Amino acid sequence: MSFYTINSLTFSYAKTDKLFQNISFDIDVNQHIGLVGPNGCGKTSLVKLMLGILRPRGGEIYLEGSNIKDISLSDVGKKVGYVFQNPDKQLFCPTVLEQMRFSFTYGSSEPGEDIDDKINYYLKTFDLIQYKNFSPVKLSRGEKQRLALASVLSRNVKFLILDEPSTGLDILRKKELENCLMTLKQEGKGYMIISHEAKFLDKYVDQLLRLRPEGVEYV
Amino acid sequence: MKIDPRTKIIIVFLISSAAVMITELSSLLFLLLLTLILCRLFSVALSGPIKKLRKLLYFLVVLALIQSIFTPGGEVLVTAGGMRILTTAGLETGISIIIRMSVIVFSALIIASAPAMDVVYGLIAMKLPYEITFMVLLSIKFLPLFREEFADSLTAVQLAGADLVKIPLKQKLSLYSYVLTPSVIKALNRARFISLSMESRGFRAYPDRTSYCKLSMRGMDYVAIIAASAAVLLVVSYNFNIIG
Repeated sequence: MSFYTINSLTFSYAKTDKLFQNISFDIDVNQHIGLVGPNGCGKTSLVKLMLGILRPRGGEIYLEGSNIKDISLSDVGKKVGYVFQNPDKQLFCPTVLEQMRFSFTYGSSEPGEDIDDKINYYLKTFDLIQYKNFSPVKLSRGEKQRLALASVLSRNVKFLILDEPSTGLDILRKKELENCLMTLKQEGKGYMIISHEAKFLDKYVDQLLRLRPEGVEYV
Repeated sequence: MKIDPRTKIIIVFLISSAAVMITELSSLLFLLLLTLILCRLFSVALSGPIKKLRKLLYFLVVLALIQSIFTPGGEVLVTAGGMRILTTAGLETGISIIIRMSVIVFSALIIASAPAMDVVYGLIAMKLPYEITFMVLLSIKFLPLFREEFADSLTAVQLAGADLVKIPLKQKLSLYSYVLTPSVIKALNRARFISLSMESRGFRAYPDRTSYCKLSMRGMDYVAIIAASAAVLLVVSYNFNIIG
């Protein structure tokens, strides 16, 4: 059974033409995919449909065999980690440390003795340890992006969806992101990355999924 | 045909003033009917707002029940432990409130159907200070933005694994503070950016502002105002037993 099964998916926003129509594809839990397509073709909308944030106009999405419309957002979030395109929308805690701890306090992200070690590891990896008592609002765009990535990567999810994760990162931090992606690959965890950076995708994904209004295709 | 924004503003002012003045249920129903006809004439899409209004139905029903308890008179319809829960007079008052609010909401949609800047130009042409009209417009536009921020934070919280249904009440309350605080901060930040943007474009740099948009009332506007005024006057007269 595939991790994600997308059947004849059709979507449009109210009063607009169909963004995409009758698209179908499968994703395995350990697959590493790059989602590509021109601006405005619906990449982020497709991801939001896969997370259950948006509802399709037609077709179904199955996550581990269950229809996404029957699963709560929190249950989706326990299986799939999502890094938003805009980190401002993802950060809601009063401090960086609380943001990192949130899933362990309120979700059921495998509470254990090594939580603090894990959080510190990711804060150090993304060079955020010195900001741990800062409000995320005070961070720069790049720092916010790193925090969003760190908070998702620290959780024990089966699959990750990263919406333009390298945006706003400098060369050094992009290298750290690449190391994290490499670690995820070694751990056998799958991910899907939306990006316009062909070189970045070439290195870290196995397949490209091209989204067009008339359908999707693996290339 | 393009209707001058002032026409819409005047008609909405007439309808909402009448909604406040009218006391009889039957007159309010006539006013609601008139408002819906006007919405139709001004091509206002009603399905979305009706759906949203349906969400307010519980609130309105509670309001009707409270009115019913505290409004003496009429026949008692429901009692509990010797206490009047629902009376005919209370029911009538409750229904009147629901219709009155619907009239105000639907009539406001007539203004909302005009482009925002047209409304600003319309208010300026009616001799309101530009700064005040622009501020009113900004604050109206801010509400959906705030709601969007709130919804985004709520989604982020849930995707981080928090189940808003299953967690205990105490945790739920603290969770809502997580959602509300960033929404307020982001809204304030947005306000700061808007004010910076306005200043950088020379807002209030000169005492007078010029505009490319020139409004002119045409025959159709006068016909619409006179017809709507006559209809509203007719409903108000009916309410105060001046006619029929």
